[in-house]
Amino acid sequence: MIEGLLVMGGLGAILGLGLAVASKVFYVYVDPRVEAVEELLPGANCGGCGFPGCSANAEAIVAGKSSPASCVAVSQEVIQQIAEIVGAKIELKEPEVAKPNCKYGVFDADRKYIYDGVKDCRAAILINGGEKECPIGCLGLGTCVKACPFGALSIGPDRLPVVDTELCTGCGTCERVCPKQIIKLSSNSLAIVHEYTTEECTAPCQRACPAGIDIPGYIRAIRDGNYSEALIIIKRSNPFPGVCGRICVHPCEYECRRNLVDEAVAINPLKRFVSDWEREKGVHIQVPRAPEREEKIAIIGGGVEGLTSAYLLNRLGYETKVYEATSKLGGILWLGLPENRLPRDVIEWDINGILDAGVQVELNKALGKDITIESIFKEGFSAIMIATGGWDMKMYLSSLLPNGFSPLPGVQLLLDIILRSKKGEDIELGDSVLILEGGEASLQAAAVCKEKGVKNVYVIFRDSDLAATQKEGIEILNHTVLTKMGGVGNKLKEVEICEITEEGKEKEGSRRVIQVDTILMGAGRFPELIYVLKQDSETEWETVSPYAGPEAEQEIGIFRPGEVIADYKAAVEAIGAGRRMTASIHNFLRGLPVEAPKNMLKKYTQVLDVEDVQGVKPVPRKRMPKRKENELEDSFLEIELGYTEAEAREEAQRCLQCGLICYRKN
Amino acid sequence: MESYIVLVISCIFVNNILLMQYLGNCPFLGVSKRMETAVGMAMAVIFVLVMAGAVTWVVNYYILKPYDLEYLRTLSFILVIASLVQLVEMFLKKNIPALYAGLGIYLPLITTNCAVLGVCLINMKEEYDFIHTLVSSFSYAAGFGLALVLFAAIRERILLARVPKPLQDTSIGLVTAGMLSLAFFGFKGMIH
Repeated sequence: MIEGLLVMGGLGAILGLGLAVASKVFYVYVDPRVEAVEELLPGANCGGCGFPGCSANAEAIVAGKSSPASCVAVSQEVIQQIAEIVGAKIELKEPEVAKPNCKYGVFDADRKYIYDGVKDCRAAILINGGEKECPIGCLGLGTCVKACPFGALSIGPDRLPVVDTELCTGCGTCERVCPKQIIKLSSNSLAIVHEYTTEECTAPCQRACPAGIDIPGYIRAIRDGNYSEALIIIKRSNPFPGVCGRICVHPCEYECRRNLVDEAVAINPLKRFVSDWEREKGVHIQVPRAPEREEKIAIIGGGVEGLTSAYLLNRLGYETKVYEATSKLGGILWLGLPENRLPRDVIEWDINGILDAGVQVELNKALGKDITIESIFKEGFSAIMIATGGWDMKMYLSSLLPNGFSPLPGVQLLLDIILRSKKGEDIELGDSVLILEGGEASLQAAAVCKEKGVKNVYVIFRDSDLAATQKEGIEILNHTVLTKMGGVGNKLKEVEICEITEEGKEKEGSRRVIQVDTILMGAGRFPELIYVLKQDSETEWETVSPYAGPEAEQEIGIFRPGEVIADYKAAVEAIGAGRRMTASIHNFLRGLPVEAPKNMLKKYTQVLDVEDVQGVKPVPRKRMPKRKENELEDSFLEIELGYTEAEAREEAQRCLQCGLICYRKN
Repeated sequence: MESYIVLVISCIFVNNILLMQYLGNCPFLGVSKRMETAVGMAMAVIFVLVMAGAVTWVVNYYILKPYDLEYLRTLSFILVIASLVQLVEMFLKKNIPALYAGLGIYLPLITTNCAVLGVCLINMKEEYDFIHTLVSSFSYAAGFGLALVLFAAIRERILLARVPKPLQDTSIGLVTAGMLSLAFFGFKGMIH
């Protein structure tokens, strides 16, 4: 009895003491903040932050390797608390939710065979890529549903995943497990900077739209009577629904699949309908804005392109300010279009909608005259976007601005220089001049330069029959493009040029920097460019070219073939270009590469499509009512009157809600 | 030599700790949902059981037996095993963080596991010498691991099958465990 007590007591005492000593000997310091942060994290271990679990992320947050906002599953308040614990500044992120990008379930789509195996998409895909004809079609076996750590997904009656947006935290687990990458995270910001790729389901109209509007999306919203949502979908790509709804050249309607049955859906009049609805209501419907960001962006040119960028960048959370040389925003919209096609109050309404979003404006401020690159950077802007307009706007502006005026530091139009030299004017060109893409006029300009005492003249061509030569200080370089300019204050200092291959790709290692004081551009207008400050400098700047759009035949340099004319042949092209500028600036400021996604749909990209449409009953297109002829005499009243609500919803029913090869059958 | 081989086969298959003696069912159902955790648990059990077997043997023959206190075996073993696991956990955290990262979360789970205690008590009941105790502990643990990994593999397949609603998750797990146990009954009588 005594022995038993002694042994157990002794054993307990020795072990207890041993453990106490061991806890000192083997003590490992754990930052108490790690525990505090881990306590705040949800413990779902979803991996949405990019770390293997909540505790790993907590450690990374405290170590400064991960952002306090990296957890997608917690609320903004918790993020604030975490930031307070680790004493870090946070950049708030717009919440994202999962969005399945397949429109027709297995039963409604064309199938190669009938699958009856293991109920998991990852297993099903092993048999010839799944049962659907469409290679990017959802197999509907719910791999994403099982993977969702928050129970936000379910498979709907049509065997497509349904997202409960209340529960979805945007952790991206579903995106990672889907073997076909059908379910993707989405937000307004992501939609704004989105380019269509070959790996997603797109309708023919969507692919044809130069602005890239989600056309089936907004028509579906109109069909369901949800007009605000329709406007938000449109305004993510195009903040001018009223203007475009009237004057758009609607390439979408030529591609509409209904053309194979009867007539195209009235895509553009439907856009006009929702815009008119908004105007009648008198409230501007806005795309929700992402949390505010630090950077300020200046936009030169208050035309369609500049305003589009200003609006979309504002929606991405940036502070934007438009500098307009004339006394009115809207540029060519006021000058080139008759009132009976585009009433002036419609232009005003759309522009007011952009201003209402919080875009700041300064009128009568011409770059190079009232403001300069240097003065704008001094005001604390992070980037300056150039959208000075096409040649027609240049012609209009030249009557308002002094002779020989040029907005960009060290950049002149070639034709201006030749004409001014013919008039015998004094031209200051500096020691070195680069002449760009001027065809045979380049040589004439080169001669002018030599006459004015320029020491070095470089003439570069993307493509030319002229022999590459070097004589008397004139160097002709073929298959060469301008990729970057650099300078200090208001002076151009250097340019980066690069050789290209026969296919228009960059020749490896051929980039070089040359000292240049003036650039003469062969095109009739100034290029779209982004000026940014060089790292750790307050006066030295360089330029960033926006990535090439779908029309461009080559990707590198400025003035890419195919793109020059395209951006200005219609308002919608300028809107598309403005959206690409927005995405380029956003990518640059976020430290991402300024380039289009690798598999972006381009003009000649072949995508899966159908050649005939079956099982669709012909329904005639609704005509828009027109004003009576006697009312039109001696007036510039609008001729077309727009749909009534009933007509619009009926017309929206005609939409086939196409995917790559799927469409709605009766 | 032969006695060792017989012992190994007996411990792993014939007297499998999970499926024949029904000890350690908690982790058997708890961590068998994913292969990854099942393998981690199996490794942790092997690690702890071999150490616990050795230590409890020493405690039994050098502390309890000399004083005729073998009736305190269960109590003292619990104390010793719990302290041992604690100590090992602290040691690993400090000196072998890589191993700790792999086994760390499973170690506290085993602290008071009945499979660990059970094996230690069986070792004493069978009156093995020290080497036999080590072999037996290792083999029982390996048998535990084998059963756990087999079960986890089956459960991963079950996840993909269409199981009727009332039978989902633990219910079907228990049914499966029962069948697996029946299968192991086939080894019964192989070694007496």
